Amino acid sequence: MSEPDDDAPVVAAATGVNAADWRAAVRAACQPLVDAGAVEPRYTDRCVDMVEEHGPYMVLTPGLALAHARPTDGVRRLCLAATTLTEPVMFGHPDNDPVDLLIAFGSPDDSSHIGLLQKLAEHLLAGLADTLRDAPDRARAIRALETVVADL
Amino acid sequence: MNQNDSNRQLQVLTVCGVGMGSSLILRMNAEKALSTLGVSAKVEHTDMSSARSMRADVVIAQGMHADDLAGVAPVVLSISNFMDVDGLRRQLDEALRAQGWLGDE
Repeated sequence: MSEPDDDAPVVAAATGVNAADWRAAVRAACQPLVDAGAVEPRYTDRCVDMVEEHGPYMVLTPGLALAHARPTDGVRRLCLAATTLTEPVMFGHPDNDPVDLLIAFGSPDDSSHIGLLQKLAEHLLAGLADTLRDAPDRARAIRALETVVADL
Repeated sequence: MNQNDSNRQLQVLTVCGVGMGSSLILRMNAEKALSTLGVSAKVEHTDMSSARSMRADVVIAQGMHADDLAGVAPVVLSISNFMDVDGLRRQLDEALRAQGWLGDE
């Protein structure tokens, strides 16, 4: 479990990010995954496109958006990142705006992410969103996400 | 689903734009809610364009997608908060009772 594993999901985070609007917020949420080499830079654009194409349905719960695109949009590794914003942004969701926390993920195929998202859902039900919001720095946010991954 | 099909599993479809993330999380929470209601159900998740050509007993999606899914199932539930398992349970309970798919204790 604690041994380095090439198949283990890449985990990344950014805290206290300034984003002018939802597009900037989605880009910021993908950037840690780009920086980690887990997705190609174009993944960021595709995540913005998904909101443009399908509406802000990925604002799952008050204040929290799940940013992602498809495996074919440049995903190299299964990955998960959390980003907190200094100022919340509006996505245009009828009930769940404004958003101050974004979780981005990428999956290299149509099924690798299923276990990860299952654990993510369980941890969100157990209060992960507020743990991430309260994380004072990047290292602490990564540690919170690592509890999700360690549970796989 | 007819009442005389009571041994058949309820077919439930959770839907989002891409059919990978939000709908998967919604599927897990719908499974939890249905299990607390004691309903035997097969829950699948999919994307909007695939969903339009599918058929189910119940479809669950964000309100902004619900109108588009009206032909997919006799019951279309609009959910705003995908993490509110208890709210989902209440909506399912009401809708399944209205269809006669969930009897009184």
